Amino acid sequence: MIIEKAALNDFLTRCQKEKLGDFKKVVAPRRSLKTESDLFFDNWQADQQFVIDSYRTIDPLRILFYLSRERILPAQPAEEKRLIVGAKACDLRALEVLDKALINADFIDPLYENRRKNTTIISVDCNEIAPTCHCNLVDGKPYTLRGFDLNLTKLDANYYHLEVGSGKGQELLDHMQKYLKINHSSEDDLQTRNENRKAIEKRLKLQNAQYERNQQYEILRNIDLTKWVDEAFTCCGCGGCTNICPTCYCMILNDETTGDIFIKDRSTDTCQIHGYARVAGGASPRPKMFERFRNRYLCKFRYMPSNFDLLGCTGCGRCSEVCAGKIEFREVVRRIMSFGKVKETAHV
Amino acid sequence: MSKNPYEVTAAIIYDIIEESPTIRTLRLRPEKPITFRTGQFMEVSVPGIGEGPFTPSSSHYISDVMDMTIMKAGFVTEYIHKTRIGDRIGLRGPYGKGYPLETFKDRDVLIMGGGVGMAPTRSLFLTLLHDIDDYKSVTFLAGARTPVDMIYKDQITEWRKIEKVTFLRSVDKVPEGEVWDEEVCLVTKLLNKISIDPHNNPVIVCGPPVMMKFGTFDLLKYGYAPQDIYLSMEKKMYCGIGQCRHCVIGPYYACKDGPVFTYEQIKDEENIWE
Repeated sequence: MIIEKAALNDFLTRCQKEKLGDFKKVVAPRRSLKTESDLFFDNWQADQQFVIDSYRTIDPLRILFYLSRERILPAQPAEEKRLIVGAKACDLRALEVLDKALINADFIDPLYENRRKNTTIISVDCNEIAPTCHCNLVDGKPYTLRGFDLNLTKLDANYYHLEVGSGKGQELLDHMQKYLKINHSSEDDLQTRNENRKAIEKRLKLQNAQYERNQQYEILRNIDLTKWVDEAFTCCGCGGCTNICPTCYCMILNDETTGDIFIKDRSTDTCQIHGYARVAGGASPRPKMFERFRNRYLCKFRYMPSNFDLLGCTGCGRCSEVCAGKIEFREVVRRIMSFGKVKETAHV
Repeated sequence: MSKNPYEVTAAIIYDIIEESPTIRTLRLRPEKPITFRTGQFMEVSVPGIGEGPFTPSSSHYISDVMDMTIMKAGFVTEYIHKTRIGDRIGLRGPYGKGYPLETFKDRDVLIMGGGVGMAPTRSLFLTLLHDIDDYKSVTFLAGARTPVDMIYKDQITEWRKIEKVTFLRSVDKVPEGEVWDEEVCLVTKLLNKISIDPHNNPVIVCGPPVMMKFGTFDLLKYGYAPQDIYLSMEKKMYCGIGQCRHCVIGPYYACKDGPVFTYEQIKDEENIWE
C-alpha cells in the first residue's frame, strides 16, 4: 500500500492533538537543535522537525519501554495507549531480546509488559546510515522484516510504501483509512522499495567492509586475556556503552520504604563498574577493568545467545558513538576474533 | 497487568539470637506463612535501606516462622544487625532451586559448612533430621575461624545424640583466653577424621569462597565425583528472579538455576570462586 507523507504527518498531528484512535501520545525521532546529525525521541508536535525515515536515534528505543529509573512497588497503574513512529530495525531486534528477558515463564516485568501491550509501532526503513551503524555485521538489515505493527519504506520525497505486520497494525490501518487515503501499491512501487532497500544495504556493506569478521563467537571466551587488556586500554569504565545499548537491561533495586508501605525503585545498572558483581563478603568475580570490558562482549555474543537464542548486539553502533575512550566496538570484535583464528590455525 | 514479581510480605522479628560477635539469627514471623524448599533463598529487605539474598536456616517443614542467620558483612547487613525484636522487615521469595533431596535418599549425606555457611546447611540438616529414616547417615563438618565465631553452639549437644548423625567441628585457631576441646584445623581437614565412602554419595558445601574452592579440591582428592559435590554459590542476587543479571555465571543465573550447583555444572565457568 501507498501512503502520502504529508497526509501521514497530518494524521499524526491529529492523533496527538485530538487523541485519534485513543492514542494519548505519539512519539517520533526529532532532529536535535544542537547538532545536525543527532535524532532523539520526542512527543510529536506539528511545528517541529520530525525525521522518521533517516537512521536510528541517539537513545535506544528501550528507554521508552524500560525506564532508567521507575517505581515497581507498589504496582503502578497501566499507562495509556501510544503510537511510536520511526522505530528502526536494530531497535526492534533489541525488543525481541527484551521480550524474552522480561516476559517469560519465570517472571513478567509488569511495567515493560504493559508498555509493550499499549504501544503500537510504526517502523520505518533506514534511508540513511550513521557512521557507526553496522547491523549487517550481526546478520541484520537496515529495514524491518518482523516485530513491527506497520512498516514504512520511503519511495520518493512524497510517498511511503506501507506494510502491515500484526493485528494491531491492521487495526491502526483501518482507523487511518477513515482520515486519509491509502492506495494500493503497484508492482513498480514494490520494485522501487526493493531497490531502495538494496541500495542502503550496499552502502552499509561498503561502510563496514573493513570490519568484516569471523562470526564463530564461541571462540571469544578462549582468546588470550592479554589481548583484552590491550583493547580495554582507553576504557575508563563509565558505563556509557551499557546505558545506551538497546539490549542492556541489568538493573538494581532500591528500597524506598517509608511507614507501612513497601516501596521499591528499579534503576538500570552497568556491568562496567566494580560494585556490579562484588558481594558483601568482598568476593568479586571481575575486579579488573579489562575483565569487565570483556564481560560486555561475552554477554552480547555468548551469554545472551545462550539465554535467549538471540545475539545481544543488533549493530546499532551507539556504544562506539558514546564512548569517552573512543573505542570502536566493530574494530574490537574484528581484532579479537582475528586472534581466535590465528590460535585455531596454530593448533592444527 | 501481570502479578507484580516484587511483591513483599512483611515479617515481624519475634526473637534474636546473637550467635557470634558478627553473626545473629533473626527469628521471623511472616504475615502469612511462607513455604520453601531447603536450599532456596529469600530476599530480605530492611525498610528504606535495601535488600539482600539470604537462605533460611530453619527446616522447610516449618512455614509460619522462619530463621535467618546473617553475618554483618556490608551495608544492608549492618542495618540488619541494628534491628530489634518487634521490628518489621520485608520478605520476597522463595527463589532458586532447593537441594535435590530426592536424590539424597538412601545415601550417606555429608555436609560441610564454614562460618555463616552453616546457616543454609543447618536448614538442610534440620530438614534431613525430620526424615532421618530416609537417609543412610548424615555427617556434618562445621568450621569457624575461632571458638567464638562458631555458631549454633547451644544446639550441638542435642544433634550429637541423634542416631545416624555425626557432627564434627573445627576452628582454624584458638586465641589466648578462649577454650576449645574439639579439632583445631581447617574444616576441610576434618575429612581425614571420617570414613564415608565417597563413591555415589552426595556432599553439600557452603562457606566462604576460599573454603569452597579448596574444600572442593580436597573432596575431589578424597574421591567424590564432580556431579556429587553441591556448592552454594555466593553471587550478587539482587532480584532473585533472573532479571537483573548480576549473578550470571556463564550461561546460568545463580538465582534461578542455583544458588546450589554441582561442581560438574560450573567447573568450566570463569571466576566461580570469586
